[in-house]
Amino acid sequence: MHQPHTEEERWDRHKTREAFARFAEVKKRGPQDAEYERLRSELVVAHLNLVRYLAVKFANRGESLDDLIQVGTVGLLKAIDRFDLERGVEFTTYATPTIVGEIKRYFRDKGWAVKVPRRLQELNLAVNRAIEKLSVKMGRSPTVAELAEHLNASEEDILEAQELGQAYNLLSLDTELSGEGDKKSQTLADYIGTTDAGLALLEDKANLERAFEVLTGRERVILYLRFYESVSQTEIAKRLNVSQMHVSRLQQKALEKLRHVLQE
Amino acid sequence: MNQPVAHPNRTLGVVELRIPSKAEWVAVARLAVAAVANRLNFSIEDIEDVKLAVAEACTNCIQHAHGSDQIEITCETEPDALTVRVRDYGQGTRPETISSRRVDEPRVGGLGVFLIRSLMDSVEYDVHPDRGTNLVMTKKVTS
Repeated sequence: MHQPHTEEERWDRHKTREAFARFAEVKKRGPQDAEYERLRSELVVAHLNLVRYLAVKFANRGESLDDLIQVGTVGLLKAIDRFDLERGVEFTTYATPTIVGEIKRYFRDKGWAVKVPRRLQELNLAVNRAIEKLSVKMGRSPTVAELAEHLNASEEDILEAQELGQAYNLLSLDTELSGEGDKKSQTLADYIGTTDAGLALLEDKANLERAFEVLTGRERVILYLRFYESVSQTEIAKRLNVSQMHVSRLQQKALEKLRHVLQE
Repeated sequence: MNQPVAHPNRTLGVVELRIPSKAEWVAVARLAVAAVANRLNFSIEDIEDVKLAVAEACTNCIQHAHGSDQIEITCETEPDALTVRVRDYGQGTRPETISSRRVDEPRVGGLGVFLIRSLMDSVEYDVHPDRGTNLVMTKKVTS
């Protein structure tokens, strides 16, 4: 009934606590200490599975798993830096909301909450069209599985689109899209283009979004942090646990890729 | 054990669902709860969070409730909140084992509860060795 901890399990928890105790010691000496980076990396590596486990849970929301793991790792780093053994909680208990928070912020920053109802509405229309088409073709009403295959979607997506596609509440133009912390939140109205300038901007934005698809997860994270969040290269390097030179190289490579795609 | 989860005077509607304690039925619970959540003024992101929380809670039951072959999902709607109770009548996991999973091989049970906690506004978790597990979680509508 009740499974006792195995030796290995107990050892593992012990090891994590010990690593944090050593890390706290070294932290007092300042981040310049060589031991600091080593212990920090050790803690990151030891908990990457936690990040992965959590990121997978959000993978069905239309963003790549790699990107989610990247941003989740940023959350892990924050949790490692802020964790205090004296709180008396397990690190996983402490880190989970931080990692989840970072993943959710990523969705919000991408305007995901705006895109998804539209996707569902579109799928809803597509399902209705497919029902008509398949009914004529097969001489009977299609099954959900057949619709899913026809539209290259999951059965759950089909059912959800039918149930929710048209029903999602219409949002007020003044609905705040991201209202977290000190960041000034945007409203839907902020996303509406005006005359020529606005339209051109929208087009740029669409092109840029398409161009971004050629980038790797890491390149996207770097460009995002650098140009949307105005984080310094040094800070990005720290967050991703690589050298500043490396960040600089990756940034340059990513920008070249973007330029190349946009020129085509 | 059958008292309503939310305050009776404020409850708008109750939806009850009973699914077999098998992974392939979890999607049914997700969809049903999503449909209920959509009756309230939840954002799409909140609905996704509720779906994920329900799936975690059901998976938790499936993995740990040996001996119970059904999961009960009860949704209670209030004007500004949704409360979902997920319960089974199996043997359950002892509470003291919940917070102590090793990290390199996360067991859904323990971490699932932490995940639910970070998705919902309040979570109460009651494990009884004989009567099974009873997880009650609430999400408020933020506007």
